[in-house]
Amino acid sequence: MTRLSGGLIDRSQTLRFTFDGKSYTGHPGDTLASALLANDVRLMGRSFKYHRPRGVFTAGSEEPNALVELRTGARQEPNTRATMAELFDGLSANSQNRVGSLNFDLLAVNDLASPFFAAGFYYKTFMWPRAFWEKLYEPMIRRAAGLGSLSMQADPDAYDKGFLHCDLLVIGGGAAGLAAALTAARSGAQVILADEDFRLGGRLLSESHSLNDAPATDWIAALEAEFASLPNLRVMRRTTVFGTFDHGIYGAVERVSDHLAAPFAAVRQTLWRITAKRAILAAGATERHIPFANNDRPGIMLAGAMRSYANRFAASPADRVAIFTNNDDGHRTALDLAAKGVEIAGVIDSRAGVRALGQYPVFAGAMVSDAKGRLGLTRLQVTRDGQSHWLDCGALGIAGGWNPNVHLASHHRGRPVWDETLLSFVPGQDGPPVMSVAGAAAGKGSTHAALTSGAEAALAALSELGRTATLPDLPRAEDAPINQQAFWHVPGKGRAWVDFQNDVTVKDIKLAHQENMRPVEHLKRWTTLGMATDQGKTANVTALAVMAELTGKSIPETGTTIFRPPYTGVALSVLGGGDTGKHFRPTRLTPTHDWAKAQGAVFVEVGQWMRAQYFPRAGETTWRETVDREVLATRAGVGLCDVTTLGKVDVQGADAGEFLNRLYANAMASLKVGMVRYGLMLREDGHAYDDGTCARLAEDHYVVTTTTAQAGPVYRHMEYARQCLWPELDVQLISTTDAWAQISVAGPNARALLERIVDGFDLSNTAFPFMACTELTVCKGLRARLFRISFSGELAYEIAVPARYGNALMAQMIEVGADLGATPYGTEALGVLRIEKGHAAGNELNGQTTAQMLGMGKMVSTKKDAIGAVMSRREGLSAERRILVGLMPVDASQPVVAGSHLFAPDAEQKTETDLGWITSACFSPHVGSGIGLGFLADGTARIGQEIIAANPLQGQSVRLRVVSPHFVDPEGGRLRD
Amino acid sequence: MTDLSPITALGGAVPRSVSFGALSLSENTGLALASLSLRRGASQPVPMGLQLPGPGGWTAGNGVAAFWTGPGQWMLEGEGRAEESFARELKSRAPDCSVTEQTDGFVAIEIASAAGPEPIRALMRKLVNIDAAGFGPGCATRTGLEHMTVFVIRRAEDRLAIIGMRSLAGSLWHALAQAAARLEGEPA
Repeated sequence: MTRLSGGLIDRSQTLRFTFDGKSYTGHPGDTLASALLANDVRLMGRSFKYHRPRGVFTAGSEEPNALVELRTGARQEPNTRATMAELFDGLSANSQNRVGSLNFDLLAVNDLASPFFAAGFYYKTFMWPRAFWEKLYEPMIRRAAGLGSLSMQADPDAYDKGFLHCDLLVIGGGAAGLAAALTAARSGAQVILADEDFRLGGRLLSESHSLNDAPATDWIAALEAEFASLPNLRVMRRTTVFGTFDHGIYGAVERVSDHLAAPFAAVRQTLWRITAKRAILAAGATERHIPFANNDRPGIMLAGAMRSYANRFAASPADRVAIFTNNDDGHRTALDLAAKGVEIAGVIDSRAGVRALGQYPVFAGAMVSDAKGRLGLTRLQVTRDGQSHWLDCGALGIAGGWNPNVHLASHHRGRPVWDETLLSFVPGQDGPPVMSVAGAAAGKGSTHAALTSGAEAALAALSELGRTATLPDLPRAEDAPINQQAFWHVPGKGRAWVDFQNDVTVKDIKLAHQENMRPVEHLKRWTTLGMATDQGKTANVTALAVMAELTGKSIPETGTTIFRPPYTGVALSVLGGGDTGKHFRPTRLTPTHDWAKAQGAVFVEVGQWMRAQYFPRAGETTWRETVDREVLATRAGVGLCDVTTLGKVDVQGADAGEFLNRLYANAMASLKVGMVRYGLMLREDGHAYDDGTCARLAEDHYVVTTTTAQAGPVYRHMEYARQCLWPELDVQLISTTDAWAQISVAGPNARALLERIVDGFDLSNTAFPFMACTELTVCKGLRARLFRISFSGELAYEIAVPARYGNALMAQMIEVGADLGATPYGTEALGVLRIEKGHAAGNELNGQTTAQMLGMGKMVSTKKDAIGAVMSRREGLSAERRILVGLMPVDASQPVVAGSHLFAPDAEQKTETDLGWITSACFSPHVGSGIGLGFLADGTARIGQEIIAANPLQGQSVRLRVVSPHFVDPEGGRLRD
Repeated sequence: MTDLSPITALGGAVPRSVSFGALSLSENTGLALASLSLRRGASQPVPMGLQLPGPGGWTAGNGVAAFWTGPGQWMLEGEGRAEESFARELKSRAPDCSVTEQTDGFVAIEIASAAGPEPIRALMRKLVNIDAAGFGPGCATRTGLEHMTVFVIRRAEDRLAIIGMRSLAGSLWHALAQAAARLEGEPA
């Protein structure tokens, strides 16, 4: 058995779990990796490229090997690190990246063919024949690589997001982080302490050192009790701070429910955006290994991890273990394991003359040069002074020194600097300005140094914030010096792995050197070193050292690659951070939505709005049938349409008229009170921007409308003009789009219908002519606004009431207007009506058109200046020959297709002969055929002529006749009657 | 009185309300709103006896309240006066200002906690990027919430109002209710 005594597991409870279908047990406090080791399972996965058998290599988030598919069904999550999966009852995991069983993976044949799979192999080999790439090579490579598999089902769990603010964010809950958090929290500052582990303590949990002559867990327990009493401290366990972003913002993922059996009562994970005035990075350090031939045998792991498993998880990968080290820390592992009753086969130390610190054999000045045991380590080859012998053991701990976890301090392109004493990169001075680094992450790895540096970093950070704090009484702790020798890899012929997850060996780095892929960024991409899901946490510095040795440069001269978020993998689901599907984005509903829904309306998304597209009736089998009926009913009787979505802006102030004069191409200051005018806005560059109406309710009060699509941008544009261009004008703006329900009442019976709802208001043509507006009351006292404007070409009004009454007003008008033919119509009929009338809409106002093209050139007033007026007269625009025309098929059965380009009948169809394009098209029940609007060169002169509408993508070519864009009532008599 | 029956922003005949643990959400359909902007050179009025607040502020008087919305701009609230011509009355009290009726431009959702300020803070942490610790009673701001623009007002330690665009009422209610429900489901 490999379960040891002691540890921080709760033996009072037994948890059952399965791995590859086989049942095992563990205890609360275990990870999947520790529980498997305790069950004598060393083989946990297969490598990426060569499908080599692999065991767990670390005890933390840096794990490159022990990747599993956790859970089943839709919750199956590939590439889960067994070292980070907290054990729960019923956990189910499967090994991945294999064909067949884990013990006998058919794709292990790749390992035999490894000479062909060296770095750069893909780039060189799969170039030819070209046609093979998509059909053969790529699928084959994807099948063989790919790591874990996806469930191909929708994620059933909920994810959340949130925002946190604090004075100080402490990243990491080890010795340094705990000391920093304690110091800061006692001062009363708002503090967040985040740690990726489920238990606070960091390496303190893995070491046998005492604090104040008592177990470290005693000190941590006391601290946690105090933390619980401090309301200004938020302790976030299971929370990985994964990125440092601009302005003191940090991304963090809290695994709220991942440690529980599904289904989850709460969200699974929460994405936190933390805004911190200061941060302390206390992320600890990652141990490095020393590559040697066949160093990837299951059972070979980092010595510090081996100590974690023994001290914290009461598990050992074998009963007889060896240590390979270049420093004193390896001996610490030997001592701790020996104290737990594990037999130490020997400590192989690269340093000559070192002695044992306890009762175990030492091979000083020696190295491990090979390993045997395909599915699990059995023997090691120890070489000293050219002499080799084999040593039997079931596990090997490698201690090659420690690399500070500088990642989060390097996300702002902070460059770590090389410390020759520590033989590691430490954070440089050019990291994020509001972040300091403490503890092992700063190269201060002894417990004493970590505690002290954490507390001091907190004092300094608080002092910068103008807060005073006092240094807490820190416990007495070990402060052993670092005695290590620079020893980066064992020379030899066999394959020695540097990056386990991406199967990159020392040989691959040599090949990269040979192929002149020497700059570190080239090395990375050529070999894929450090590009796996673990981002080479256990590999990168070692690889640099190997490359440095090959080039004869120093390690700092060789350089480091750029560090980027995320620090560890973050699920896309949690980055989505909330709703999917219907609630993915907000939806705006019109005031008559419920009424329309009750009528069985079909809705269409218009930006954020849901608008009624058409109102099908029983017996209507196609949407066209419905739309035709709505159009004809409007032209024959009266149609009602909710037009609330058009933007409405309230413009007030003594200079409101002057303001609008400068904003619109045409004059607005001259508009009489009680009247409405169509308005066209230009962009600064002279192109048409937006159109709408301006209604003057009082000398100093206008209400202007915008198109639905441009309501937001136009309001912003107006605010910009008010605040930045003409701050001297007395003008005040506010949007009232949502405040008023606005309904278009159009058709010959419109007046008759409105007469039934207004409270004694005279609607006669004399009293309330075309383009009049007024405030009035309707339906027995309800305040309302009435505008006599028309988009359909019919006698038409728009009536506005407070939004809460829109639904009832629509219902009432349909009811009281039944005998007048009152019919609701949707956006589809609205479009047909306006195309028939030749009114421009979004299709025509597409940002490329000018007033002149729209046939409104004369609207750009020359008597005043307005935004875009001067630029609209520049040569490039004034020479524009295309103008809005109407188009009808010569053969009425032929369609008119929007987007088609227009050519002379005998012309070759190419860019040079392109005369314009069709902007809008529909079937016109009024005309009885398809019709269209389009921009055509010299269009007015071509009226009556034939033109070809070409749609070469679909091989369409239709003969059209050029006509006036006003298919209905070109004289405009209807709207004025 | 008009013969038309109004509906609430959430489409009901009566205001919607719901509770999740200590938090309750209710649609405040009685709240009248009117914007008030100073005209050029005008001095700041004291409409309806209300001292208008400075940036980021909300003040409440007798049945009326106001929050700052921009330089020289405020939104006035009239509790229980949605059916009145609140804007017209305000204009008569501040004739030198531009006043615009806004009652139906917005939906007001009042959030109350039965367990002191912490549930309010917890909810804010899930909804808006505002430091709840520095957003005490009397604070008001405009911010983004689930891709919507809203006003957030801390009416009291245990009360928060979210005022969003009326047309987005359904999406806003969903966002608030879901956040409150998720808080209730969180492990202690």
